Amino acid sequence: MSEAQTLEVEVTAIEQVTPLIKHFKLRPVAGESMPAFSGGSHIVVVMRTPTRVYRNPYSLLSPPHRLESYEIGVRRMDESRGGSHFMHDRVRVGTRLEIAHPVNLFALDKIARKHVLIAGGIGITPFMAHLEDLHEGRVPYELHYSVRGREHAAFLPRILQRTGERVRMYYDSEGQSIDFDGLLSHQPLGTHVYVCGPAGMIDRVAATAREWGWPDSHIHWEQFSAPPVGDAFEVFLARSKMTVHVAPDQSLLESIEAQGVEVPYLCRGGVCGFCQTRVLEVDGELIHNDHFLSDAEKAKRNTIMPCVSRARCKSLVLDL
Amino acid sequence: MLVTGIKSKPVYAPLRADTGGRYHLMLGKGIGNVALMRVLRELQSAAPQALGRTRVLLIPEQTPATTAALPVPPADPPVSDARPENFAALGLEALREFSDVPSLLREFRSLLDGALMGTRLYVAGPESFIGLAMKIALEFDLNKDEIRAEELGTSARRVYCIHCRATTEDVRTNIVRCVDCGSWLLVRDHYSRRLAAYMGVMVDAEAPGELPQIKEVFV
Amino acid sequence: MSAVFKPHETFRNDFTFENSPEAIRRFPLPFVDDQYMYSVNIEPHAPGPKGSVVEFAFDVDEHYVAECRERELVLAAEPLRYQALPHMMSAQWDCLELIMESLARDYPAHFSLAKRANRWHWINKPLGIDQVFTFGDPSSLPREPLDFITRQAQGDFVVMDQREGDLWTEAGMVTTPADWSLDFDVGMTFKEWHGPVPLAHELGVFDRALKFLLNLRLGQPVRRLNWTMTVNPRLDTSPENYPKWGPDRTKVTQQNAGDLVHLRVEMQGLWRLPRSNAVMFGIRCYLISVRELSTIPKWARRVRRALKGLHPALVDYKGLTRYRDTVVEWLAPFDDGSPTTPGAAPD
Repeated sequence: MSEAQTLEVEVTAIEQVTPLIKHFKLRPVAGESMPAFSGGSHIVVVMRTPTRVYRNPYSLLSPPHRLESYEIGVRRMDESRGGSHFMHDRVRVGTRLEIAHPVNLFALDKIARKHVLIAGGIGITPFMAHLEDLHEGRVPYELHYSVRGREHAAFLPRILQRTGERVRMYYDSEGQSIDFDGLLSHQPLGTHVYVCGPAGMIDRVAATAREWGWPDSHIHWEQFSAPPVGDAFEVFLARSKMTVHVAPDQSLLESIEAQGVEVPYLCRGGVCGFCQTRVLEVDGELIHNDHFLSDAEKAKRNTIMPCVSRARCKSLVLDL
Repeated sequence: MLVTGIKSKPVYAPLRADTGGRYHLMLGKGIGNVALMRVLRELQSAAPQALGRTRVLLIPEQTPATTAALPVPPADPPVSDARPENFAALGLEALREFSDVPSLLREFRSLLDGALMGTRLYVAGPESFIGLAMKIALEFDLNKDEIRAEELGTSARRVYCIHCRATTEDVRTNIVRCVDCGSWLLVRDHYSRRLAAYMGVMVDAEAPGELPQIKEVFV
Repeated sequence: MSAVFKPHETFRNDFTFENSPEAIRRFPLPFVDDQYMYSVNIEPHAPGPKGSVVEFAFDVDEHYVAECRERELVLAAEPLRYQALPHMMSAQWDCLELIMESLARDYPAHFSLAKRANRWHWINKPLGIDQVFTFGDPSSLPREPLDFITRQAQGDFVVMDQREGDLWTEAGMVTTPADWSLDFDVGMTFKEWHGPVPLAHELGVFDRALKFLLNLRLGQPVRRLNWTMTVNPRLDTSPENYPKWGPDRTKVTQQNAGDLVHLRVEMQGLWRLPRSNAVMFGIRCYLISVRELSTIPKWARRVRRALKGLHPALVDYKGLTRYRDTVVEWLAPFDDGSPTTPGAAPD
């Protein structure tokens, strides 16, 4: 992805839909409609402040056939490095932002015979776009939506309009939790399961599905976690011939971008592998936080995902 | 044009039990039943409770004499073990015998219709039998992670005539006459899972009547 | 390109096809130096030089009307040259939108597209088509969307669904193939479809290409060139019709090689599609006779040398065995051994 590929948008509406989640509507500055997209896509929103630039991915929750605006939902994160706070506290109606073209790493499988959708909290957002596509089709589906409490059930009236009784709600505060074993043990052949929510939920769904014999190709997940923080360290970019300082609350990717060096990326969450970078030298430890490299590849110490991984080292040289 | 060494040609491997699966559905024809017996014995020792969730559909070998003559890996059960009564002794959820492929495939399709996620499919026998079973499995979104196949018995091919689109069955030679339009077809290794057949292309288009030597290659 | 269409050109029977001098000069020669080997050779499909074949997303040239008529002839005899599996409908609409918007934007003298919400009005002057329809509603078009629009575009189109970490060949319009069959290949994965290509798999070409295409982004299409040769300017060199064109390979002589043998270049464009997340593969075919090529001195030398040094497996795969040497011989008078400048453009 290069900066030249961004679109300028203007915020036309903001609504606090739950105590933690704000809903934003974005319209194009130039032209009448946003680019068409497939359900499950996310955009990366570029937020510029005088001191730093945030690039956060957010799922598009708007109907894919309604392109006058894009809609996203942003949860205020507790230990935020700033991106969600920026969206909550500094963006107003009329604020202009840059976004990248939609990218889809969480599409529905088109030949599935059934879809089981599992959402936790803000993880409901990509499914809202999927519901629009499912609404018109004939493939059976179920949506299981787990939230802390009733006041946290974002977008529920809108969801009910699409799903009717195909959604089941689970309220933590009322002691309700999803029975993953029950859910995944009796699905017909050709079912795909999709989960978006906290890491723990994703791990449980994947582990339970595997126990019941589901192959990995039928288990889909999306997670937008903030890159883990860590100790500050320095990295040398061999081709650009510059040293970059990585602050504790800035990812390696963000620090490199802040120096004007572009690294290709798609998800910024350690999942897609697009930002994979060669490590030319490391004197110390690489901290791999990604889900892309195999254990063997991680052990080789010659490659890293700068979007989420870090290092604890005396020196680190990258092929950038 | 490339005839052999084509990457679309299916690759088979000796069947092994997949204990990651919860339900097991097995199809065997003729000498292929030896491979199924191998898998079942593996399950019996590694995960005996799985046998009660295993269903087997078989076409027994018709001519015992030829069966005895076919090569079988030394570690395998003896061919004589692959008899229906030995399968029956295993305590399977279901065991059915068929005398022909179409009836077996009809039952297979109806089993798939009620099957659950976590099912693993094993197919063993001649390639054309495997291909026809896979064709049905495609309709149920079963993919390569859920299917294992071992080619045993004749490697005679189903050949799709690219000119008239007819399928010629049981082809053992490198060149064959199309059962419908009569063209002499070169049998390529380019394989379609959707058609469960190899491509046949007119062999003498450039020099009509000039046929290469016809050899029996798919035995 | 200031196209004056030659609607009565034929690509069969009497083969009246030929290139104007302008068409010759803009021909996309696939040889950037005197030796040829496979590579992934992908580059961004960004707008190219004015008048070139890559100035616009979809190139419309002097052969446009004739090629569309040729496509109609193929389909009338063999409807299975167009296929689309049921789950590919949203991809079909994506393709229709992409092609219509591009043609209307880039060739306003020939095409126009007016939209009012979902009511679209498409006019194709060269083919005399005036169609009002509802975007998203297949019943509002006389044919399926992909079928409808590809009958109005030059070149073949293949649409691949992306799932399970792979690309699946599941819709297409293929009437100008270089010896491959959509009917046989529909349902195959990317590598299975390319199964019959020799050497490239061992070189890892398709592994890298697949990985790249899986990450292809909206708004960032790519392109690459591929080539083969054909006897007579025949577009439909399908396996289905091999009995018709196969014998032509034996008819090349030292005298007629310049006129009979044609270089056939495929300009392949790849686009990520928005609503379906599928990948559309456009395979645009350009033909030029060896004699027409030889009118450009650099090309005569370049092509002769590239053919002479071609890997034997490629000679076989591209079907050149019977006449490659004859063509090399035919071009001999044009090759004085002098160096050729790098790049494909004429001097």
